[in-house]
Amino acid sequence: MEIQVGRIIRSSTTRFAVGCRVLRPEVPVFGSLVKVPVLDDEVYGLIYDVCMEDDPYVRQIAVQEEVRAEHIEDQRRNRQVPIEVGVLVVGYRRGGTIVHRLPPQPPTSLDVLYTCTGEGLVEFTRRFDYFRLVLDNRDLPADELLAANLRYAAEARSDGQAFLVDAGRELARLLNMDLVRLDGLLRRLRDWA
Amino acid sequence: MQDHSELDEFFAHRPPAPEAVAEVRRLGIVVSGSLSKGLGVKLDRGAVVEGMAVGRYVVVHGQTGRRFFSIITDVALDATNPALEKTPPDTSDPFLSQVYQGTATFGRLEVSPMLVLDPSTGSEPEAGEPKPVKTVPAHFSPVYEATEEDVNRVFGAGDERHFYVGNPLDMENVRVHLNLERLVERSSGVFGKSGTGKTFLTRTLLAGIVKQDTAVNLVFDMHNEYGWESQAEGRHRVKGLRQLFPGKVSVMTLDPESSRRRGSKVDFEVHIGYDQIEPEDVDMLSNLMSLTDVQINALYFLRRRLGKAWIEKLLAEGEAGEEGGPSELDMLLEDGQLHGGTLGAIQRKLGLFRRFDFLRPRVHEDVVGKIMDYLDRGLHVILEFGRYGSTLEAYILVANYLTRRIHGRYVQRMEAALGSRTDEPKPLVITIEEAHKFLDPAIARQTIFGTIARELRKYNVTLLIVDQRPSGIDEEVMSQIGTRVTALLDNEADIRAVFTGVSGAGELRQVLARLDTQQQALILGHAVPMPVVVQTRTYGPELYAEVGHVEGEALQDRLTRNVNLLQGDQEFEGFE
Ligand SMILES: Nc1ncnc2c1ncn2[C@@H]1O[C@H](COP(=O)(O)OP(=O)(O)OP(=O)(O)O)[C@@H](O)[C@H]1O
Ligand SMILES: [Mg+2]
Repeated sequence: MEIQVGRIIRSSTTRFAVGCRVLRPEVPVFGSLVKVPVLDDEVYGLIYDVCMEDDPYVRQIAVQEEVRAEHIEDQRRNRQVPIEVGVLVVGYRRGGTIVHRLPPQPPTSLDVLYTCTGEGLVEFTRRFDYFRLVLDNRDLPADELLAANLRYAAEARSDGQAFLVDAGRELARLLNMDLVRLDGLLRRLRDWA
Repeated sequence: MQDHSELDEFFAHRPPAPEAVAEVRRLGIVVSGSLSKGLGVKLDRGAVVEGMAVGRYVVVHGQTGRRFFSIITDVALDATNPALEKTPPDTSDPFLSQVYQGTATFGRLEVSPMLVLDPSTGSEPEAGEPKPVKTVPAHFSPVYEATEEDVNRVFGAGDERHFYVGNPLDMENVRVHLNLERLVERSSGVFGKSGTGKTFLTRTLLAGIVKQDTAVNLVFDMHNEYGWESQAEGRHRVKGLRQLFPGKVSVMTLDPESSRRRGSKVDFEVHIGYDQIEPEDVDMLSNLMSLTDVQINALYFLRRRLGKAWIEKLLAEGEAGEEGGPSELDMLLEDGQLHGGTLGAIQRKLGLFRRFDFLRPRVHEDVVGKIMDYLDRGLHVILEFGRYGSTLEAYILVANYLTRRIHGRYVQRMEAALGSRTDEPKPLVITIEEAHKFLDPAIARQTIFGTIARELRKYNVTLLIVDQRPSGIDEEVMSQIGTRVTALLDNEADIRAVFTGVSGAGELRQVLARLDTQQQALILGHAVPMPVVVQTRTYGPELYAEVGHVEGEALQDRLTRNVNLLQGDQEFEGFE
């Protein structure tokens, strides 16, 4: 079941930002796989950040002595500045095939972002080539991000445990020159395994 | 729909696919290596390091369809990152250990390619012949456990040239065959500590040579173990070659009494006349009898002066004072041509000959001629030493005496044959035990045995030397030993000696020191395509049967059956 997350507000080849109005229990979730239809293709990404900016009203309310519950509720529902969701691009689908590479063109403003769970998630995580695209971002909590993503991918499968072992082996191959990082990442996976 | 189910039924009964029957286990892939140092193989995750063993055979499937038949020379643990050794991961956690094993850490094999098996064309047998390795398989070529079929392709099938001598370790169903033609082409050796099975192995080899008629044998049987029955450990008896090949093997003896006691059937007694002995024959004993150079020179001098009867005269003189005028010896002393002390020493030392009953003052028969006659007729000759086997002087004297003369005749005959195959005498293999006594560096250069070993097969005579102390054998001779069959050796020098002139023997050395104390041997050299460790085949009823010997009971059965057949109208089976 695809849930609409929001619309693109900023976009580039490697990352884009999506604005959404409210925080619901299932969206947006850190580490979850999302997708944007772009013409005939679909661009896939991982949610790496959910950010709420302030605005003058929030500031005002924040400093009032007595805050009325309706005001808080109203402010949350009708926010002037949207909740901003950061998405890291990890691949795209062209024709029937999923490619774990950067797409030729980024999504356009106001394109709609959907969650990608269940079958779609299983299909995307059948191969591990996108690990590189995640791990290379040293300015992001990349390890945390990948670990969260793998956890959802494992939960979407019946043989989640074996999936995590396979993923772990791929990581061992990629990170064999940085054993401390590898160990940390594997421990994150283990705690779910 | 009826048709459908019939088809189903038909397919359901198909035999299993061939690959399901002979599944070969993949072990890993080649990741490094060179022809000179061997290949590095990274083990697959599924392959259990502890299941690998040095000495086991593997086959690398190269890119061009060639198969590289190789042997595991080392098993090691490795890691992609050396830091892993310093900070091992928490492997008490099953998840972590599952992830690390086979990825960051893995097993590694060193394998040494020995032979190349070309892709078999099936039709021509020659195409499948193993060839020496001249290159290495490409990177990432897969490595498999060798199948029985692979090993059989290397060590051949039993045919008129190849004789089954044992099984590779861990492979009871695979037979290792020795190419007997190549075995006798050059001198060969059987080595091993005392009690490791040298004699049993040698008897097996000789049985093969007799059965396949590869050469004629002359065996100097020091301990009376080859001709007739002898005792194995645990009191059971094993048959001698004469029992296995009646009519093809003849036994001669130096000690008829001993032969009679043991029930050994003997064709004739060997006597040697004093007048037939030359100084050269005594020369061989110089070490044993501690003859000095002066004394040896005196021997040659005496032979010239006293003529054929020189020993008789020396010994007669030695026996207390003789009546009559001054003897020839006295005259030599008076002339000052001979020193009294030297003469006395010689007489004392040669006095030993009186104890050898097979030596007689004069003998009319010509032992050498007789043996040559047997050999010419394709009969194998075993010379039993009886009680003289324990007297090294007797063993060396006789072996040397006979070999020198027989070799001499072979040389003449070969030269007369002028390369015409048909006139050449049959190839001869001379078996000697305690070989280092004949071939020690001090004498190997002058003795006939050293000569035979060095001249290779030029005159159709080669040696089969049996020895427990190969380090005592002259190095040059050792390097000429074409095929070496070696049971356990634990002395460093002996091990080194066995590998004289063998390149890249480092790993094999390890193998040799780890053999079982009995019935295991390393075979290397001319008669095998590559070095191989075998569980040697048991010398017993199965072997008797294979070489065509029919046991009493079985013979009786066969007889009754034949009688029945003769009475009926079926075909006569015959006894052979
Ligand atoms: N191939 C074999 N088949 C059956 N028994 C064997 C075989 N090899 C060795 N044995 C057993 O090992 C014992 C010792 O073997 P063998 O007499 O051949 O040793 P050796 O090396 O010749 O010893 P030595 O140096 O004392 O002459 C035999 O008596 C026999 O019981
Ligand atoms: Mg012996």
